This record gives sequence, C-alpha cells and structure tokens, in this order.
Amino acid sequence: MIKAVYIHIPFCENICSYCDFCKLHKNEKWINDYLEELQKEIKQNYKGEKIKTIYIGGGTPSILNIKQLEKLFQILKIINLDKNPEITFEANPEDLTKEKLEFLKNKINRLSIGIQTFNNKLLKLLDRKQVNIENIKLAKKYFKNINADLMYNFNEETKDILKNDIEKLLKLDIPHISTYSLILEPHTKLYIKNYQIKNEDTNNEEYINKILKENGYIHYEISNYSKEGYESKHNLTYWNNENYYGFGLGASGYINNERYENTKNITKYLKGNYKETSHILDQNETMQNEFILGFRKIKGINKQKFKQKYNININDLKIIKELINKKQILDNEDYIYINPKYLYYSNEILMNFIDIHFHKQ
Amino acid sequence: MKQENIRNFSIIAHIDHGKSTIADRILELTGAITEREMQDQLLDSMDIERERGITIKLNAVQLNYKYNNEDYTLHLIDTPGHVDFSYEVSRSLAACEGAVLVVDAAQGIEAQTLANVYLALENDLTIIPVINKIDLPNADIPKVKKELKDTFGFDDEEIILTSAKTGEGIKELVDAIVERIPAPKGNKNDKLKALVFDSHFDPYKGVIALVRIFDGEIKTKDKLKMMATNATHEAVELGIYNPKEHIKDTLTTGEVGYINGSIKSIRDIKVGDTITLENNPAQKALPGYRPMKPMVFCGLYPLESSKYPDLREALDKLKLNDAALDFEPETSKALGFGFRCGFLGLLHMEITLERIEREFGIELIATSPSVIYKVTQTNNEIIDVDSPVKMPDRQKIKTIEEPYIRTNILVPSEYIGPIMELCQNKRGNYISMEYLDQTRVNIHYEIPLSEIVYDFFDKLKGATRGYASFDYDLIGYKESNLVKMDILLNGEVVDALSVIVHKDFAYKRGKIIVEALKKQIPRQMFEVPIQAVIGSKAIARADIKAMRKNVLAKCYGGDVSRKRKLLEKQKEGKKKMKMVGSVEVPQEAFLAVLSMDEE
Repeated sequence: MIKAVYIHIPFCENICSYCDFCKLHKNEKWINDYLEELQKEIKQNYKGEKIKTIYIGGGTPSILNIKQLEKLFQILKIINLDKNPEITFEANPEDLTKEKLEFLKNKINRLSIGIQTFNNKLLKLLDRKQVNIENIKLAKKYFKNINADLMYNFNEETKDILKNDIEKLLKLDIPHISTYSLILEPHTKLYIKNYQIKNEDTNNEEYINKILKENGYIHYEISNYSKEGYESKHNLTYWNNENYYGFGLGASGYINNERYENTKNITKYLKGNYKETSHILDQNETMQNEFILGFRKIKGINKQKFKQKYNININDLKIIKELINKKQILDNEDYIYINPKYLYYSNEILMNFIDIHFHKQ
Repeated sequence: MKQENIRNFSIIAHIDHGKSTIADRILELTGAITEREMQDQLLDSMDIERERGITIKLNAVQLNYKYNNEDYTLHLIDTPGHVDFSYEVSRSLAACEGAVLVVDAAQGIEAQTLANVYLALENDLTIIPVINKIDLPNADIPKVKKELKDTFGFDDEEIILTSAKTGEGIKELVDAIVERIPAPKGNKNDKLKALVFDSHFDPYKGVIALVRIFDGEIKTKDKLKMMATNATHEAVELGIYNPKEHIKDTLTTGEVGYINGSIKSIRDIKVGDTITLENNPAQKALPGYRPMKPMVFCGLYPLESSKYPDLREALDKLKLNDAALDFEPETSKALGFGFRCGFLGLLHMEITLERIEREFGIELIATSPSVIYKVTQTNNEIIDVDSPVKMPDRQKIKTIEEPYIRTNILVPSEYIGPIMELCQNKRGNYISMEYLDQTRVNIHYEIPLSEIVYDFFDKLKGATRGYASFDYDLIGYKESNLVKMDILLNGEVVDALSVIVHKDFAYKRGKIIVEALKKQIPRQMFEVPIQAVIGSKAIARADIKAMRKNVLAKCYGGDVSRKRKLLEKQKEGKKKMKMVGSVEVPQEAFLAVLSMDEE
C-alpha cells in the first residue's frame, strides 16, 4: 500500500558547496517545461492510492515564483489525499516572503527550512546566503509544524558556534530539528577543493542530544529530533521500509518490491524517459533493509509489525539473538532497538545485516 | 639380490646444507629418475617441506648401482634436519648401517651437525663426511676440513668434496657408500625380524609401514604379528619405492621396503615395533626406540565454533602420519571447544598449524605454547601441568619445577657477548664454551625450555645476524619461582591468554603482553582496559580507546542503496574475529603473549 509521495524540484538559485543531491541552476524556461513533464509523469504512474504524506523537496522548491507554484499545486490535485495529510515544503530562509507564505498557507502544513548554521563564515563556506531570521519568525506565524536543518562537524567549528546555532533554534522555538554531520561527498565543490572535515573524535552528537533533550525534544531517529507529535510522518515512511512514490528529476521511489531511481538528466526527463534504474528486491533483501532502516528509529523496530510483514518472530532470528547477547541491541515487549550506548556506532551493528541470509539462520 | 651387495644409509645435515639436493643427485646418478622427471628435491613431497626447504617425514628409496661390474642395491632413508625431529632421525638411523654427513663448505659445522653426528655414533653407523656446495664463491674448504678433523676426528682423505648443484663429487660419494658402508648383517633363514621405522596413512590402502628386515623374509600373504601390540595382519602387498611404488613378492634380510597389511588403525602399528611371522615368531624383539614425548603444548580452537568437528577430523588425519602429535579435547571459557595439542617443539607446532589451515581449510586460534610443569602440591602430590589453566591455586602449591635444556649454540666468536646477554635474559645459567677453531665457539647454557618456546630463535638470529646455529638437549627439571599471570579484557579473565612466568620477569612480561594486545585488538565500540594480574594484584594495564563514531548521518528515501554500498565497503575491511566476552579479538592476538619485544 502506497501512502507517501515525494516530489523533486531540482532548481536552485545557487549551488551549495556540500550538496550532492540532484540540482540545477534556476532557468525559467526549464522550470516551466519541467513542471509540465512532472504532471505527465504523475498522471502516467500514479495509481490513485489514498496518500497520507507529500514531501516537496529539492533542489529548492521555494525559488519557484507564484505562477510556477500555482502550476505545481495544480498538478498536485491529481493526487488523492487522505484526510489530515502531512504536506511538507522545503524552503530557504530568504524565500520565505510574505507573498509566498500567504500563497502556501492553505496548500501545505509543514515547512522544512534549510538553515544549516547561523554563522556567516560557515555559510560562506557552504555557498549559502545569510540566514534571514525575520523571515523565519514570519513563517512561524503561518505554520506551526516547522523543521530546521542543522549542520555540524565543520573543521572551523568551535563549541561556541554549535552552541549558538542550537540556542538560536531553541529561541525560535522550532519544533523539529534535523541534524547533519557534514560529509564530503564526491562531485561536490567542497570535495573538489579538498576541504578537510574534522578528523578527530568529537562529542558533538552527545552535546546536541543533551541540549535538545533538556529542552523537551524527543530524539526519535538517529539524526532527527522533534517536540511530541511533530515527528516527520513522511520520513518515517522511509525508516519503516514502506512504499512511496518518487516523482521528478532524480527522485527515487519504492513500489511493491521495486526500488527505482529517476534519471538525473534533464533532457532525458523532458523527453519522458523518467526511470533510470530499477532494482527488484527479494524477501531477504527487503528484510535486510527493514533492519538497516528500522534501527535508525530510536524506538526501534516494532515486533508485531515485523511478524505481520514477514511471518517471522524477530526474536527467533539468530542474528538478533546474537546481537542481544552482545548487548549491541536491546528489546522490550514491543520493540527491538539499538543499545543507546552504541547509537553512534550503529554502522558496526548494521553491517551484520548487509549480507545475511535469513533463511539459512 | 645378494645380501652383501645391499647398502642402507641416511643423509644427515644441518638445515640448508644441501641434504635434499644431494639426495636428488644420487637419484639421478643411479637412474632412479630421469632428468625429465626431476622435480627439485623430489623426496620432499609435502608442499610445506618444499617451501620451507626442510624435510619433515622420512622417505625410503631403493636405488640400483653398478660398481666394479657388480650390481648393488642402495636404500636411501631420508631424515628430517631439524632438532624438533631428532626422534625421527634416530628412527631412520636405526634402519641403516651408514650415514652421509653433509656440511656446507661456506658455513662449516653447525649445531644440528653435531646433534646428528652424535645420533649416528650412538647407532654405530659408519659416517662418510662430505663437504658440499664447494662451488660457492665463499666456500672455505680448508677451514671446514679442519673443523671436521678437529671436532670428529676424521682423516683428510675420508672427506669427500661435492657440489650437488653441478654434480661434482656425487659419483665419488656413491662409490664411497658402496666401499665403506658395511653390508647388512642378519640371516635370511632366521625367524623374521622387521623393524618398523615409519608409517603413513594411504586413503586407499590403509596404514603403510616402512620396514627394515633384520632377519628372515616376508612374503606376500604371510601372516604377520606385531610384537609390541600383538596385533596380527596379513601382508596384502609388499614393495619398495624406487622412488615410485614397486610391488614385490618378497622382502628379504637387509632390505628396506613397505608393507601394506590392510590396517585401518594407525594405533595397530607402533613405530619402533618389530614385525615377525605369526606361525613362526622370533623370540625377542629388536631394540625399539624410546617414544619421544611432546614437549610443547598449546590449545587449538577453530575460529568458527561450528568447525570443531572438522578440527577433530583434521587432527585425527594428521596423527595418522605423525605419531608424535598428541591431542585431547579441551574447553576454554573464552574460546569454546578445542584441543590441547602436544608437539615435539615449536617448528613441529608451526608446521602442524599451517597444515591444518592449508590442507583442511580451518582457521585456527592457537594459544600460547606451554611446557609441562611438575607441581608439588601442599599435600605432597606431584602433578603434571601442561596448561596455565590447569595450574592449581597458589595456596595449594609447594614448589613448581620446569624443564631445562642445555644448548649448543655455534657462533662466530665476535657474537659471544650478544649471545650471553640473550641467554641471561632468558634466565640461562652459563655452563661452558668451547672453541671449534680460532673464530667459532660452541656455547653451552642451561635455559628453561619455556623461554626457548617463545622467541628465542628469532632473538638469536637477530643478535647474530643469522650466523648462529642452535640445538638443545633436554636435561631434566629444576625448581623455579614461577607464577601464573592472568590477562583481563574489559575486566574478564581470558583463560586462553594466561601464562606462567618467572616472578622476577612477571612485571616486564605483563607490560609487554598488555601493550602487544593493545596493538593487536582493534578499537571497539567502547573503551577496553587490558590488565595483567597475578592472583588479584594488577601488575600492568593498557587501555584500548573506543573507536571513532560510525554512523550514517542522514538517510532518506533515495539513500538506501548508497548507504548499503557504504556498509558493504566498511564490512569488507573487517577481519574475522572471535568474540571473547564482550570484546572482539582477532586470531593473532592470542599469540601476543609470545611477544617479548622490549618497548
């Protein structure tokens, strides 16, 4: 059952130095053509399911002008919405003008703002504009459900910068915070100019964790914090290993047992060649993903849902017994989860699932 | 074949002095193999033997040779060169009347040369001294001749000069074998007495015994009786190696050959036993050998616990061809099910481990080698302890005795200083020193065997830039001030890492071991303290810091396949480890206790 839709708007005013997502410089002609094509793709592939969450990401969806936004939301009318859907829209602070906020007011109900940091030196390193705090304050008047992205692990970083960033977010009372440890991905500007990220043990994660929890946030996923009731329903789809549509350039989707990725080539896309790769998963790989994704949730994997999905008692799996024995994972009546002590070593634990054959267990 | 035209001989030499190459040349000269069939060092058929350039198992080959228009039958019985295998050397020498003593023209007499010559003399063998590798640019024939004359009392004209590489002197040597080595004594009409000097297991035929007939004859289908075990078997097949198997109807007095008695259990054939005829038995057996007892013990555990039955099978199979290998089941809290194995020495242990890993594909964890300690308890009961785990509580121990050896260390005199320092560090007592010539000495120390099983060979090589050669005799037990030292990983005793050390050296050893373990054990998800303790007293400590964080920072819809690739890549770099309590430990770490490096 498909309950989630991701829509990719690849255009940006300028390209951030760390970004390895699918992105293009803004170009009015392309944007218009792109929206037309996006409509075709959705019409062609969407099968009419009742949808609970839509996530409009980028790129930078917020750079679209009102006319283009009108077109976008007109397209979205194709999608059959469940009641009380969560509709997220990604925005850069500088785009959050009164005009756009007014427009979005009744069309979306969750805003994800790319703040990253308030420090101007670091923003410059990231090729991002200074954060317009007034815009964010304004946005808060329109939307309650807001996420802010927070980045850390800069080489130039000091405890003070991180502390200041978090304090500003707390002061703005933003109910959802996504944290990102800066990673150098190939084909990014930072990578090409051979930027060195922090190469020493830090306790940034613990610091963020402590301060956010003290301020009433729930740590519900390895890099995500929210006030109660403000978890990202859409992103939980991914971590629950559930199906979702992905529409637009470079978008990826997971439908039935197929994981696919759309082309990142705008010319190809505009010619109607959407899908670039397709991978059919067998039950074993699906189960592997269930663990690799599911263990990202602090609460862990729901035993009953696992049983429903795979007809296997999760506690009967040999690997689960072993890991519980090693205290690397823990369990209670309903959930199985990573030992909080080892949360930031979770790759060491997830590695066990990458090549496992469950039927041989 | 006339009995007086049979010659039985072995070749004895220090390692690397060219024993196997000389054997190959003799085989070529006597036409046993054509040059085309020639594979270097044909007699060494095991891979490890050829790689290490040493002979482990003996082989016996029959050769035909024409001398002064007479046909002669020569039996060449190969011997291992290393001190660990001196038991096997003495076995093969007992089947011979003569021995060819090979000495390297550049190296001269070495420790194992001495050991082998003494063994040959004990067996009353005629010795033919050979200086080999005379083609080497640094050959010093006069010097080596002088050593042979001074040390063993040979005459100038007795000594044969050869180059196994060019073939020079080989014919002269084979002539000398015919001329000098006496024909076998014994009477073909007497009751059968055949000495079993080796056996091996053939998967198709069962146990094959290598025998030397001292009296009488064996014919196919004879009913044979093993005089020690009283087992009886039919001689299904008889034959010789030339070097290929060659079936014969009869083996007669003086001959060396094999018997296939369709014997399924290696225990029915005891090496050193005498075979006679069931219906016409000899009265008295030939003098056997004192069976060599294992000297060095270690625990062997499969890296994967599920391979335990495979390991048992591998040890069973090796035991068929290696009577000296001893093993019994053992359980370790840290490592699970395994075996306590006894070996003749360190080399024997290393070769066995390598064969298990290579021939049977079982990855092993070996615990640090131990000797047998004789422990007198407070109730005056004396027990043998071959593993630190079996050491009784300190309160129950009155005294501990440990085995000592006496060394022959042959070394150029300029290295006397470093050798003495090394032996002193190994708790050695200086006994004496003899000059072989003006520049070379034989140094005798008494050293605890337990010190030798660690890194003595390596240290010796290092201290003398490879110029020293070393051999030892066991001289018995002496009381020592020994204690058991335990190693704790993350607060838990790892039984497989316990060692027995001299009290005065405990602090230093403890420090070295914890530091070595710190290097060997990778960082874990948490900090791991390593402690060396005696009783409840900690004497050394090192901490393994927790590893760097390792987490997928963000993971959303499109990331799954990329994150999987990252995890795959990270996993590739992981070694297989053994879970010991809460700590993952790599195979090699269990030998870290062997490490003796200072600083």
